[in-house]
Amino acid sequence: MTLLQTKDLIVTFETADGPVNAVNGVNFSIDKGETLAIVGESGSGKSQTAFAIMGLLARNGRASGQALFDGQDLLAMPQKALNKIRANDVAMIFQDPMTSLNPYIRISDQMAEVLTLHKGISKRDAITQSVRMLDAVGIPDAKARISSFPHEFSGGMRQRIMIAMALLCEPRLLIADEPTTALDVTVQAQIMRVLADIRRDFGTAIILITHDLGIVADACDRTLVLYGGQIMEDGPTDDVFARPSHPYTAGLLRAVPRLDRDDDELLTIAGEPPDMSRLPAGCPFSPRCAAVMPHCPTVKPRLESFDGTRRRACHLPIDEVA
Amino acid sequence: MFNFVLKRLAIAIPTILILIVLSFMLMFAAPGGPFNSERPLPPQVLANLEARYGLDQPYWKQMSDYVVNVVTRFDFGPSFQYRDRTVTDVIMQGFPVTLTYGFWSFVVAVIVGVSLGVVAAIKHNTWLDYVAVGISVGAQVLPNFVMAPILVLVFTLWLGWLPGGGWQGGQWQYLILPVIALSTSYMASIARITRSSMLEVLNAGFIRTARAKGLPTWRIILGHALKPAMLPVLSYLGPAFVLMITGSVVIDVYFSTGGIGQFFVNSAFSRDYAVIMGITILVGVLTILFNLVVDVLYAWIDPKIRY
Repeated sequence: MTLLQTKDLIVTFETADGPVNAVNGVNFSIDKGETLAIVGESGSGKSQTAFAIMGLLARNGRASGQALFDGQDLLAMPQKALNKIRANDVAMIFQDPMTSLNPYIRISDQMAEVLTLHKGISKRDAITQSVRMLDAVGIPDAKARISSFPHEFSGGMRQRIMIAMALLCEPRLLIADEPTTALDVTVQAQIMRVLADIRRDFGTAIILITHDLGIVADACDRTLVLYGGQIMEDGPTDDVFARPSHPYTAGLLRAVPRLDRDDDELLTIAGEPPDMSRLPAGCPFSPRCAAVMPHCPTVKPRLESFDGTRRRACHLPIDEVA
Repeated sequence: MFNFVLKRLAIAIPTILILIVLSFMLMFAAPGGPFNSERPLPPQVLANLEARYGLDQPYWKQMSDYVVNVVTRFDFGPSFQYRDRTVTDVIMQGFPVTLTYGFWSFVVAVIVGVSLGVVAAIKHNTWLDYVAVGISVGAQVLPNFVMAPILVLVFTLWLGWLPGGGWQGGQWQYLILPVIALSTSYMASIARITRSSMLEVLNAGFIRTARAKGLPTWRIILGHALKPAMLPVLSYLGPAFVLMITGSVVIDVYFSTGGIGQFFVNSAFSRDYAVIMGITILVGVLTILFNLVVDVLYAWIDPKIRY
């Protein structure tokens, strides 16, 4: 059953050089309990997609289109109604755990206010539940440490706290915006395990936004590849990884360093990440594509379905070349 | 924390001693003396006067006597200008007045300034922001010696609502105009500092987290943003509070309030060393004290600061 569905999601920023689209008509959906990865380079619009859904765009940003959660359009509802859904039904954790907790307020107060706000329970009960949640995400000695301030925890611990805080109301959807990017590799694995446990124990649907394909392969049912604010391809993670259809996806996968091959140099995708204010009228990836054809920069490829469960937007998909 | 306060108080003692010595030296370096007047006194009278106030003693002896008297007996000596009164009498007469209108000016400046700054930051780049910035720029460029006559003109001469001067033991009618005149420019500075630091805080990641929690805007501002946004304001408020409660010459002269600002200037003109020293030490001690208060408040707001 569809939990969240976006329709022609467009995010526009008013800049000194005029309006710039960071997200350019994105359509996707996520089912109850499903895990969806949104991958792409910096500037692909993956984070702005999430911010738009949560109503957290920067002051100069505006979202249009629809983001239907349970049939209600999150983009069209008044602030008050959206506030009832935030944290309660749709929660979010952010890239940098060092700055996303308020350094001036005790963890106990920061967590308890979520429950007193949405569930209307007493502060005492809220703290008891918060301690239980901190236990669940693996904070040792949570009962004593909940009254500490954020700076008394390491980065990995702070991200666990963020996750615990996001889960307090048992939301049906958790949006994780690059939750491991700012952390050590060993800590990354722990955080991903926490997310996997959550999904198992609470049945929470998760949108995992990342540029790290390594963590996608294990953790996510479906993968959606964004470039220049547009969907390049999506489908079940195993299929996308085993048989990428879009040259960009293939390039991303090739760029993942592998230990089982004896490569002398790291492979990259030629060229620079796109300048969103100067995208070609056609395929946004065409300036960097090795298989580019004359009409690629001018004619936008349609997002077409294939294989029953997959979609792609390319004039010359890889599987058709072979 | 307790040790920190003790340590700071211990450092304050030599600081105040240096303050006394330096102001004493500066005072002596200035030409003229308390008994120089346009018609010179007969030499014998002058000699008697100087002997009476100890001015015939060598420089270092005068200084050490003064320091010993201040430190051991809290005695700042007699005033040269008001012959029958001690410095302590002068300060005790003027300071309560200044403290009263200074304190209320401080309260008004903080409440109005912080509110203006917060509103301007929340409504950044809207007409409300421009109005708030306009008010604070206007208030900043109107110094109190311009404000005071304008206020008297409008509220006393034209409207006749409020008395144009006097004190009457600090009744509220007599307080209003001095408080407005003194607080205006401080209010403007507080509003500007609040606005810029609030704008910075509102861009912080933890404010985004607070929004993602579904908190209404007013709870985000009061519960999450105000405390950190107040840190830069706080370091301005310490010295500003001292300046306000030690008064202003302009206020005292314009409104004949009789605060120590007036005594301070009069004694500078008449070389009344004793009163100048007394008020200087008072301001110095208050400055040290309130800087310490600011540091303690800092630690209370920011848990990362531990002394």
